[in-house]
Amino acid sequence: MATEAAPMDEKAKRMRDLLSSFYAPDPSISTSGSSISASFDNINSTSFDADQYMDLMIKKSNLEVLLQRHVQMAAEIKNLDTDLQMLVYENYNKFISATDTIKRMKSNIFGMEGNMDQLLQKIMSVQSRSDGVNTSLFEKREHIEKLHRTRNLLRKVQFIYDLPARLQKCIKSETYGDAVRFYIGAMPILKVYGDTSFQDCRRASEEAIEIIIKNLQTKLFSDSESIQARAEAAVLLKQLDVPVDSLKDKLLEKLEQSLDGLQIKPEEASLLAEQNDSSNDAESNEQHPAKIHEDAVRGFSEAMRAYREIFPDSEERLFKLARALTAMHFENMDLYIRKRVSAADFLRIFRIIWEDVVLMDEVLPEAELSDLSAEAAQVTVKKFVARTFSHLEQDISDTILKFDINQKEAVEEEVLKVVLEASKKAGLQGTTDIFQDFRQLLDENIGIFVKMKDLIIGWIQNGFQDFFRSLEAQFLVLSGKTSSSKEIEGGLVEGKSSDKIHAGLILVLAQLSVFVEQKVIPRVSEEIAASFSGGNSQAFENGPAFIPGELCRVFHAASEKLLQHYIDTRTQKISVLLRKRFKTPNWVKHKEPREVHMYVDMFLHELEEVGKEVKQVLPQGTFRKHKRTDSNGSNTTTSSRSNTLHNDKMTRSNSQRARSQLFETHLAKLFKQKVEIFTKVEFTQESVVTTTVKLCLKSLQEYVRLQTFNRSGFQQIQLDIQFLKAPLKETVEDEAAIDFLLDEVIVAASERCLDVIPLEPPILDKLIQAKLAKSKEHNNNNNTVSS
Amino acid sequence: MQGGSSGIGYGLKYQARCISDVKADKDHTSFLTGTLSLKEENEVHLLRLSSGGSELLCEGLFSHPNEIWDLASCPFDQRIFSTVFSTGDSFGAAVWQIPEPYGQSNSSTLECVASLDAHVGKINCVLWCPSGKSDKLISMDEQNLVLWSLDSSKQSAEVLYKESAGMRHSLSGGAWNPHDLNSVAATSESSIQFWDLRTMKKVNSIERAHVRNVNYNLKREHILVSADDESGIHIWDLRKAKVPVQELPGHTHWTWAVRCNPEYEELILSVGTDSAVNLWFASASSEKKTSESLVEASRLRVNPLLNSYTDYEDSVYGLAWSSREPWIFASLSYDGRVVIESVKPFLPRR
Repeated sequence: MATEAAPMDEKAKRMRDLLSSFYAPDPSISTSGSSISASFDNINSTSFDADQYMDLMIKKSNLEVLLQRHVQMAAEIKNLDTDLQMLVYENYNKFISATDTIKRMKSNIFGMEGNMDQLLQKIMSVQSRSDGVNTSLFEKREHIEKLHRTRNLLRKVQFIYDLPARLQKCIKSETYGDAVRFYIGAMPILKVYGDTSFQDCRRASEEAIEIIIKNLQTKLFSDSESIQARAEAAVLLKQLDVPVDSLKDKLLEKLEQSLDGLQIKPEEASLLAEQNDSSNDAESNEQHPAKIHEDAVRGFSEAMRAYREIFPDSEERLFKLARALTAMHFENMDLYIRKRVSAADFLRIFRIIWEDVVLMDEVLPEAELSDLSAEAAQVTVKKFVARTFSHLEQDISDTILKFDINQKEAVEEEVLKVVLEASKKAGLQGTTDIFQDFRQLLDENIGIFVKMKDLIIGWIQNGFQDFFRSLEAQFLVLSGKTSSSKEIEGGLVEGKSSDKIHAGLILVLAQLSVFVEQKVIPRVSEEIAASFSGGNSQAFENGPAFIPGELCRVFHAASEKLLQHYIDTRTQKISVLLRKRFKTPNWVKHKEPREVHMYVDMFLHELEEVGKEVKQVLPQGTFRKHKRTDSNGSNTTTSSRSNTLHNDKMTRSNSQRARSQLFETHLAKLFKQKVEIFTKVEFTQESVVTTTVKLCLKSLQEYVRLQTFNRSGFQQIQLDIQFLKAPLKETVEDEAAIDFLLDEVIVAASERCLDVIPLEPPILDKLIQAKLAKSKEHNNNNNTVSS
Repeated sequence: MQGGSSGIGYGLKYQARCISDVKADKDHTSFLTGTLSLKEENEVHLLRLSSGGSELLCEGLFSHPNEIWDLASCPFDQRIFSTVFSTGDSFGAAVWQIPEPYGQSNSSTLECVASLDAHVGKINCVLWCPSGKSDKLISMDEQNLVLWSLDSSKQSAEVLYKESAGMRHSLSGGAWNPHDLNSVAATSESSIQFWDLRTMKKVNSIERAHVRNVNYNLKREHILVSADDESGIHIWDLRKAKVPVQELPGHTHWTWAVRCNPEYEELILSVGTDSAVNLWFASASSEKKTSESLVEASRLRVNPLLNSYTDYEDSVYGLAWSSREPWIFASLSYDGRVVIESVKPFLPRR
């Protein structure tokens, strides 16, 4: 079976090849595959050469193979022959059946023509019948059509006759829209026949329309009508061909006027904010102003929307209006925050404005309201920040000054302390409040605030920087230190400020500066670091933002300056006292000393006052003990030396010995460690008092040096100084320096004395005791009087 | 006395308050100083800076009858000077001439050219006319202002005018305006007064209490410097005298005297009772108020104090610039120590 199948296959393949070679247009392509492999021995190839093939066969094969080949070939040829025969037969059969089909078709078509003729006749008869019906009905139809037309005409005529009445009805019911529609419908007819047949009608309806127009106009301009209704009226008027431009102008003017109503007036703003607050409980009953305002703005924007559609050419003007409203809002805001406004109120108003802007922006996106208002908002917020700071500054200085006024009249018990505490509190509380306010600003999530966040932070930082700087300046002005440079520009204020400033106030300011330096600024910088950092990019470009280090330096310098100023004013007062003391008497003709001079009391009184003030304001020096032992260690020896020296001098006879005396003082100074009189002042009670005393004693010495004394004059000085010794040492930290200075005064007096004979110690003692007793008595008297 | 001192020192025997530059001595840098001793023989020392500038020599030593409270050298004759002195209970003023030859250092007596004896009260100062040629003098006591004409050849002085400032203004000192020879500034208890010498009338005043010393800026017209006890040094522009042009902090204690440098207009010296001499740089100028100079001024205002010479043992009262070598000044502390210092390292660059 398998062997049979193979030749069968081979045969079929060859058949296919043959067929394909026959049908293929290009034999080379179809046979290319086989021609390469068997160019000569392939019998199917076109280039097959029989002779060559024979030669090759003969040459290659032996007889047996040739024979075999021959047999095979003969069989193949026979096969081919039968195949070809089969093909011919099949084709022939097909041809015969085709001929049969054609013959059948021919017989079928025959006889169809008669049917077709019949059909034509029938159609012809149908057509003639229908023509007949048509002609018979034509007249009636004409008639009907005519009737119909007449009826329409009549209806129109009826309509036109009815028009005035209808219009009147419309006027009555105020449905002007319908009226206008009717009138416009009737217009063409009225236009054509108005002069002839419908004269009356036309006149009547025109009159009615006149009324309508008038009504519409009044409606348009009446304030009581809603803007919506008025916009409708405008549309109707426009349809009635009433000149629209003037109308538009008038209308826009109206709109402009209505802007006034939309203003948030500064006076009302607080009300607005306030009522908004309490809206929770009174919500349903009463419309609170904020709501009213919102409705108004909504109406306004609706009107704008309507107008925009009605008058497309009025956009510019509407833009202008919207911008004007926005600008006005911000202007009013500006006025509003000129007064003191909390951040919450500020934000509330701001929110309202922002809502308005958003509303309008929806209607008129092209007006670029958001840009405009963003700019304005920036300015406003910036101003708000600045104002807040200036308010704080004002607060602090008010606190200081408020107490100052009382101070002058009232008993000076603890007033300074109160002032200090109050202003400290004002400072701290103020900054805390400010932070709260600003945090509110930052937390606000109106779009614009989010955008401005960086800017705001920058402003706040800058604001703090400026605030502290101006606070420092303010302190200096308050202290009268810089009044000359600053207030001159203001003009007349100068005289008032410099003289009347209470010395204690200066001390308070000094301590306050320290407080600001040590407490407030670090705190502020912490706060800033905590919640106001970032946004630096902007701020740093414009200049340095908040630099706590610099401010601390500034305040440190200010505190020192103020403390110095305090000491200066205090010593000045005493200096005046001393000056009077030394200018008045003729020291060369001085009488014998009978008692300690008055000025000593005054001097001590002044010191006491200083002590009081200092005690209220400044902290106590913690290392007082140390100081004392220190000075004992190094300086008492020197002072005792000068004392002994002094005593020597005093006990000597009153012979001429000034030269040796001077020499001795020189010598003493040579050996003595230079006593530091002018040391740096510290912020302690003792340091300030000591410095004051030192400066005063130095002044005393200088005054003494300018005079010439007789014996009694010298003795008077000796007595006074001796008396001063005890109370001064009590009050003062650096005893050695005081001792030294007191001695210096006596030395100076002795140098300037024509006849140096000191008072005998017993007399000195006696006089001092007398003075003490007297002052005690005086005190007692005072006490009894007061009690 | 101390190693850190760069200045040249010279010790007087007694305490002293006043020192004056000998302006008329064109060949040497000389100073005159007088002692203040109530009970001793007072002396006037003529000091000369050696040519190398390293030593201060005593060129002459003259005895003076009374303690000297003020001393001023005559601007046109180096041998003539004036003093204000006190005998203890009364004051006097006189013009003296240094005898010739004055080379010896032994004490010799001064010749009294003229006694300015028109005063009764406490005399404060004698001012020489700053023109350098005129022989006019002004002496001032607490109430009066006296203008003298000095005739040195006839050895006499004549009172030209005498005007009372009134009891209430006790005058304490003054300065003669070098730019306007008819104007003299006088300090009183409550103000600086300006006197016109032609009419002998007070023409103007600056209300300022307790001014101790005034000095005109020699280079810049209208600029006056004042020192007071309370608030240091003020620089005034006399054309708008309401407000000082600039304030300098002065000294820890009183600022006793101020002197403008005769050559470098910005330099001001002050001495004080805190035993220090301060050198200031005051650039404030009212003429040029350009922003640039203001910026500069504000920069300099940060520390106008160029240097503080603190090497003194006692209050410093005497102060004088040398007009011959304007970078040199002499200071005198109460203990009688003259110190010559040079401000060369601080001179402004030109």
